Amino acid sequence: MSCEVIKPDRILQQLAELWKDTARPEADADGDGLLRACAMTLVSFVDDEEDAMALGETLALLMREHPSRSIVVRLREGEDFLESRVFAQCWKPFGHRQQICCEQVEISATMNHLQDVAAVVGPLAVPDLPRLILLRSARIVRAGALRKILRLGDKIIVDSSLPGAPGFGELGALLESGHIAGDLAWTRITELRALIAQVIGDRVPKNIIIEYEGREAGAETRYLEAWLASGLPDTVVRLKGSGGQGTGVPAVVRVDDEITICLTPECAEIEIGQLKQHAPLAVGSADELLNAELKIVVHDEIFERVLNRITA
Amino acid sequence: MPLEGLQDPLRFSRKAPPCAVVIYGANGDLTKRKLMPALYRLAFEGRLAPGFAVIGVSRTAMSDDDFRDRMKHSVKKYLEDSPFDENLWLSFAKGLTYIAGDVGQPSSYGELAKHLEGVAAERQTGGNVLFYLSTQPSQYAQIAEGLGSVDLNTPPEGNSDAWRRIVIEKPFGHDLKSAGELNTRLQAVFRESDIYRIDHYLGKETVQNIMAFRFGNGIFEPLWNRTYVDHVQITAAESIGVEGRGAYYQEAGALRDMIQNHLLQVMATVSMEPASSFTSDAVRDERAKLLRAIRIMRPDQVAANSVAGQYGPGRSGSEQVPGFRQETGVDPQSHTDTYAAVTFLVDNWRWSGVPFYIRTGKALPKRVTEIAIQFRTAPLAMFRKATAGAEALPNVLILRIQPEEGISLRFASKRPGSGMQIRPVSMDFNYGSSFGERSPSAYETLLLDAITGDATLYTRQDMVEASWTAVQPILDYWSTQKFDFPNYAAGSWGPAASDEMLARWGHEWRRP
Repeated sequence: MSCEVIKPDRILQQLAELWKDTARPEADADGDGLLRACAMTLVSFVDDEEDAMALGETLALLMREHPSRSIVVRLREGEDFLESRVFAQCWKPFGHRQQICCEQVEISATMNHLQDVAAVVGPLAVPDLPRLILLRSARIVRAGALRKILRLGDKIIVDSSLPGAPGFGELGALLESGHIAGDLAWTRITELRALIAQVIGDRVPKNIIIEYEGREAGAETRYLEAWLASGLPDTVVRLKGSGGQGTGVPAVVRVDDEITICLTPECAEIEIGQLKQHAPLAVGSADELLNAELKIVVHDEIFERVLNRITA
Repeated sequence: MPLEGLQDPLRFSRKAPPCAVVIYGANGDLTKRKLMPALYRLAFEGRLAPGFAVIGVSRTAMSDDDFRDRMKHSVKKYLEDSPFDENLWLSFAKGLTYIAGDVGQPSSYGELAKHLEGVAAERQTGGNVLFYLSTQPSQYAQIAEGLGSVDLNTPPEGNSDAWRRIVIEKPFGHDLKSAGELNTRLQAVFRESDIYRIDHYLGKETVQNIMAFRFGNGIFEPLWNRTYVDHVQITAAESIGVEGRGAYYQEAGALRDMIQNHLLQVMATVSMEPASSFTSDAVRDERAKLLRAIRIMRPDQVAANSVAGQYGPGRSGSEQVPGFRQETGVDPQSHTDTYAAVTFLVDNWRWSGVPFYIRTGKALPKRVTEIAIQFRTAPLAMFRKATAGAEALPNVLILRIQPEEGISLRFASKRPGSGMQIRPVSMDFNYGSSFGERSPSAYETLLLDAITGDATLYTRQDMVEASWTAVQPILDYWSTQKFDFPNYAAGSWGPAASDEMLARWGHEWRRP
């Protein structure tokens, strides 16, 4: 087990060297040059058990829309461990000659070094650009160490539908302390919410029933209920579970006796009276959800209102 | 209007309200290549309301199913950067219907009115209708009057919330007089606020970005005036010739086809004053004011400030290409301008004395549309020796509209080393690499705008007439001239006279 001394200055020096190396004529075979792109700092906290390849793919896909200095912190149990490495993530957009490259820093550490990690990551953030934290580490949540990493970012993004993720209570506490938070469970229902708003139009329904699969409503279903209830104060919004096994995600939305929206993972079948219509719904892969959430680096009033309603 | 409580402007993309789109010229090229793929793409993105409907109208007899088949074929063929979803198409196609009708037959409008009633009931379009005229321009007024004759220009009785809008494609007249006549006839039927004159250039993301660039940043606007800007060059070059459109092009020419509409609108966007708000009329008021401020040339000024050109045979890349007069459908003695360059001056406080050079042409060396704003040089040539005695290169800000959309700024930098050697370098912003997301096509943007009632990117009557007023003296003068055409070879950057026009001001064209 190694435990190196990590200094931000040294990592920044390594990054500078990396760019020189990447731009060397022999490394740039086509000779069309590289474009260094950076629009934010994205710090991802993950547990060491998480599939490194899947995470790498997600981050690589994100780079196209959100070129960033990406810092991945892998947290593990066990003996004293701390090390870092830097590398570049490059791609060539279709039809373009020039490569676009973003820089990545990976830090592996045991939980006892969380404080050190925070001290390293802070100075590595790109000045004057937004700093976002993607929290996928259940270890941090279990250890109650959320606050230790909050100061590193302008916004923290979680997925409350995942096991071990911060729940509504923790998210509510973040909002109360003035932080900007995003929840991918909320992002996951954006398309559905937009569709419901469009289909309802200017009607003021008396009743809306959200049917979900399973015994317990999942985070998405609860968000949907709270959003409808807060947006339509004169409407009765109810949840109805199918019982048995199920993920708790919304399956059908019924608006009075007039509108039915049946949901499958990729689309919605809408019935308005005699009119039947098929509408595609974005699948919401990990990178698509993050992509949508990274676009928002301000307080999201509607999300906060809905979350407050749930936690009240 | 959707309920306020369910709106989420931070996250929701803009959605269209229920409506029917009636396309006149539904069997034409524009419908196949642009309109239908754009509407399908809007459906693909979930932006159309469930009760959306399209009614195709043209002279060709065909059934609803034939129309659907043709449109499906077109969408598959011309859909760009998007997958084709069979299930979605089936659902979308349910809303497509077709009426065969001659625009000259009064009874055809009655049939359309009846058909629309049925569509409104079946598809729940709320009585909203967008009429899209993708026909010969000479039919615009006739169709508008026909629609008016059966009251299709106004919402149905008892449904005052419904709307009726009409979209027309350029050209809006072929000169100032005919533009005025067309406006008068259209406005006799539709309110000006319901007339949408489409200029697809204004729907391009990068043209819209000019406004974001100018008015969303604090550092450029203070430099955006006669004190700091030396001159502005607007180039819209096509590498291809007229390629089968010879007959149409022969009637139009480069000045009418490009400068009178697209490029003067681009110029207005680059040079207008900031609007008080980003609302349709506020933005269009400023564009119109700028167009009205363009100095109208006297006949004796036209020769020095405009150049007409026509390409002769030449080489495009490694390919030998024919001259314009050798193109199919073109008169071998044609005097049509396939190239036009004009120096415009703007008589207002911001731009007084700053020349705006606009050029456009067919069969030029490459396809490029860009705006280059050349700033004045630094007042003291401190590094004259360092630039080998040459004049210091001025800063140039380039707004690239196509094909590589982006913004570049050229500035001077010291070369590494012990001496003080200065070299120009370019700082580039590339739209494609900074925003990986797909840009909507101009027609997607503009159709959605028309359906949602946002006319910001559409041209208003006073703008059309102001731009015709600016080019009319040139058209008048050119019509009296016998040009020595062809005067440039295909694959070159245009006639020598165009370079001379700038040389008189001490400037030269950029080589994009």
